Amino acid sequence: MTDTLAIGQRVDRAEGVGKVTGRATYVADLKVAGMLYGKMLRSPHAHAKIRSIDVEKARALPGVRCVLTAADLDHVDDEPASRAHAVLAKGRVRFQGQPVAAVAADDVHTAEEALDLIEVEYEILPAAIDPLEAMQDGAPQVRQRLVENDDSEAQAHATVATNEVKPTSNKPTNVSTRIHFARGDVARGFQDSDVIIEQTYHIPHVHQSYMEPRAALASWDHQGHLTVHASCQGIFALRAELASILHIPESRVTVIAEEIGGGFGAKIQPIIEPITALLAQKTRRPVKLVLSRSEELIAATPAPETIVELKTGAKRDGSLTALKARVVMDVGCFPGGPLNNVCLLAAGLYKFPALEVDGFEVLTHKASQAAYRAPGAPHGTFVIESQMDALASALGIDRMELRLRHCIATGDLMPNGHPWPFNGMRQVLDAIACHPAWLERKQAPNRGVGFAVGGWMGGLQPASATVRMDRDGSLMIVTGAVDLTGTHTAFRQIAAEEIGVAADQVAITTANTDSAPFAGTSAGSKVIYTIGNAVKAAAADAREQILEIASRELEAAPVDLEIRNGKVSVKGAAERSISLSKIGQVSTAIGSKHTPVLGRGTTTVTQQSPGFAGQLAEVEVDPGTGNVTILRYVSFQDVGRAINPTLVEGQMQGGSAQGIGIALSEQLVYSPDGRLLNASLLDYRTMTAIDLPNIETVIVEVPSPYGPFGAKGAGEPPIVPGPAALANAVRDATGCDFPDLPITPEKVVNALRRAAATS
Amino acid sequence: MSKQILHLTVNGEDREILVQPYQTLLEVLRDEIGLTGAKEGCGTGDCGCCTVLLDGKPVTSCLVVGLQADGHQVTTVEGLESDDGLDPIQQAFVRRGALQCGFCIPGAVVMARALLNENPNPTEAEIRWAMAGNLCRCTGYTKWIEAIQDVVQEVKA
Repeated sequence: MTDTLAIGQRVDRAEGVGKVTGRATYVADLKVAGMLYGKMLRSPHAHAKIRSIDVEKARALPGVRCVLTAADLDHVDDEPASRAHAVLAKGRVRFQGQPVAAVAADDVHTAEEALDLIEVEYEILPAAIDPLEAMQDGAPQVRQRLVENDDSEAQAHATVATNEVKPTSNKPTNVSTRIHFARGDVARGFQDSDVIIEQTYHIPHVHQSYMEPRAALASWDHQGHLTVHASCQGIFALRAELASILHIPESRVTVIAEEIGGGFGAKIQPIIEPITALLAQKTRRPVKLVLSRSEELIAATPAPETIVELKTGAKRDGSLTALKARVVMDVGCFPGGPLNNVCLLAAGLYKFPALEVDGFEVLTHKASQAAYRAPGAPHGTFVIESQMDALASALGIDRMELRLRHCIATGDLMPNGHPWPFNGMRQVLDAIACHPAWLERKQAPNRGVGFAVGGWMGGLQPASATVRMDRDGSLMIVTGAVDLTGTHTAFRQIAAEEIGVAADQVAITTANTDSAPFAGTSAGSKVIYTIGNAVKAAAADAREQILEIASRELEAAPVDLEIRNGKVSVKGAAERSISLSKIGQVSTAIGSKHTPVLGRGTTTVTQQSPGFAGQLAEVEVDPGTGNVTILRYVSFQDVGRAINPTLVEGQMQGGSAQGIGIALSEQLVYSPDGRLLNASLLDYRTMTAIDLPNIETVIVEVPSPYGPFGAKGAGEPPIVPGPAALANAVRDATGCDFPDLPITPEKVVNALRRAAATS
Repeated sequence: MSKQILHLTVNGEDREILVQPYQTLLEVLRDEIGLTGAKEGCGTGDCGCCTVLLDGKPVTSCLVVGLQADGHQVTTVEGLESDDGLDPIQQAFVRRGALQCGFCIPGAVVMARALLNENPNPTEAEIRWAMAGNLCRCTGYTKWIEAIQDVVQEVKA
């Protein structure tokens, strides 16, 4: 677009210089006077009774200032309501790596030495590790008594209405949530089918693997006010959790967001901030606590493991008949997983007239789960998009044609009976269908092309922002939003466009929880969509106030004025003008008759704008080694309107790389007794520069009626289609199905051997 | 254990500091000298966030004992910037949007500088191999490659 001042332009991130020079400050970089270093002692067992903890030797070590166990804490329950409330284990540990004691010492080495001196006597108990076994009667129970499920994280992503099946008994069970969706006559649908595909899919636990391990710095003042420097996705959400866990009013907690080195959904639940605050309270000194990478992998909050039995049917003419799915999600030791999203996408992307979906969220003695970019959506998309290719092959119908015939459109019913909001699924499919990478694909031995499409419903949350004009006429956005990967730059562009100035005339600051206007958590692809709308409203309000001042100065009606080239002028009479810097001056000067410009924007968007993404992979499979090489990768995404194409491409490329990781290499591997076997980045393999080709991007723009300037959420969708696109490409190259992720060389070789033996 | 004296040159400045014999070069840089640009992403040499130049060669400073650097030259990300401004690699990373959360970027730009010092005209494959030890979870590396290729072109022109 050429008729914009800022929207659609590749504006550089103002904070980019800080990040390339090492001057940007992350929590681990902070050092304050009197600061102590915190560390946690963690359980080596997945499930055990704590018989005793002896901390005397640790307390006696020179340099140790404090050792805490659950016995020292007032508010820790033996059956905590959530992972965040399980500050230290009381009586029993329920996953390997659960903190049982914490130390604050003069330096980190002394703190670590102190951990070795703490003696814990455990009675090892049988553990529920495999989710299918954990569902059975007689399995070791994760909860000793029933507590209400905490769904606050699912709320943070605010996806869609669920169909929860309420439990009929008060007895605790490892099945923490059940959901059920049904429509039409499924049995009849399968009877009428000419082709039926049945497959069981498995997506293991994966880790979000942000490069910055969790870190927190906490201190208390003499009046009992807590200040936390945090690496978090939402300052207000963190403040609320801390106040709840520590039993103090929110007004006595200040959260300051430092730069965050990646979160991807995991840095919503506060799993280190409460203990850091308690160590600081006990010692009356600032305490910094930073996790190691192995602590992150063993004992943080990975994405859940999911097993899906999926059955679909179709008639020879290509019409779809029925879909039946059973989804089991292993969420580890606390409930609150994205089961609903898996079920809705698995059964909701194509128009099956009859469907039945049963979902089970299962507790196991493993680290509890957290969101990971579009939580649940890659899982649901992987199973249905794998199966659409299998159906197309069995029917002898082109896989693109089958999808275009049956993909949902706005208004079609989702499995929960609600209509699909306005969306661009078809436009994304169309973009793939007419792309040269699809049209000009060639048949060659061991080579294949695959694609998949999936979506993300998009989160909703009320938001507010202010836009202030300063004395020199420049503008300042004040927000409580955490900038994960560039949304602040998009906010500057939104405000600039609304007011009529260039983006470099607008600055932005993240205020702390004491002074920021409320903003929701940066999650669920709702930052631009919701907070961006608040910024737009605040900018519109500021513009009105600017015009009002100019109107009095120029003696012209506000409607006759325009803002252009740093001036407010009368339309058609450019010589009658006042500069923005003059307005800044007259609105703040001593004795001025004008009021300062303070634009205020508050919004609550209530309509979702799902974002769809599609990806196409061209691969070569080495039949000898089973190695899969990605020759070409194209990422397509409907973002409504690309506020900043550079930033949107970055989301598309980074999300693609994460989806490819889920497809080809990432998996947390647990032993039968629940110990993580690959707790390092050498053994837990994320994509490196040599694993990937350049990721091409195709931005599709189907404007949202609700997002600012038509924008939709851009962050989550690009992780969604990757696993299915890769599986379909490898299937195209080998003729074998790969329902069990990741598609490792070993699995490829085995599948080829099995295929050769049966042919 | 008692502290020992470490003499080294960091970003052109001579330093004489007391360090514990078990402190890593990364700890020395971050905790004793206050240069927090290099980051600890793993502490086991797998992620590359702590990459610095030791006598011009890239090392993961979390795997170097501080005292091993005695008498040597260290360049950190802070040393890439000069009075003339940012290193062209730093400029290209900003312009290309090759950074998102930014945590891995100090290590990445130092690694890219080491590559171009050694090989001013690398192919895409050579760039990918050189950067393979620097993990990034945000970008998918495409914009890294473009940024480094931009610098190669600028130098040629």
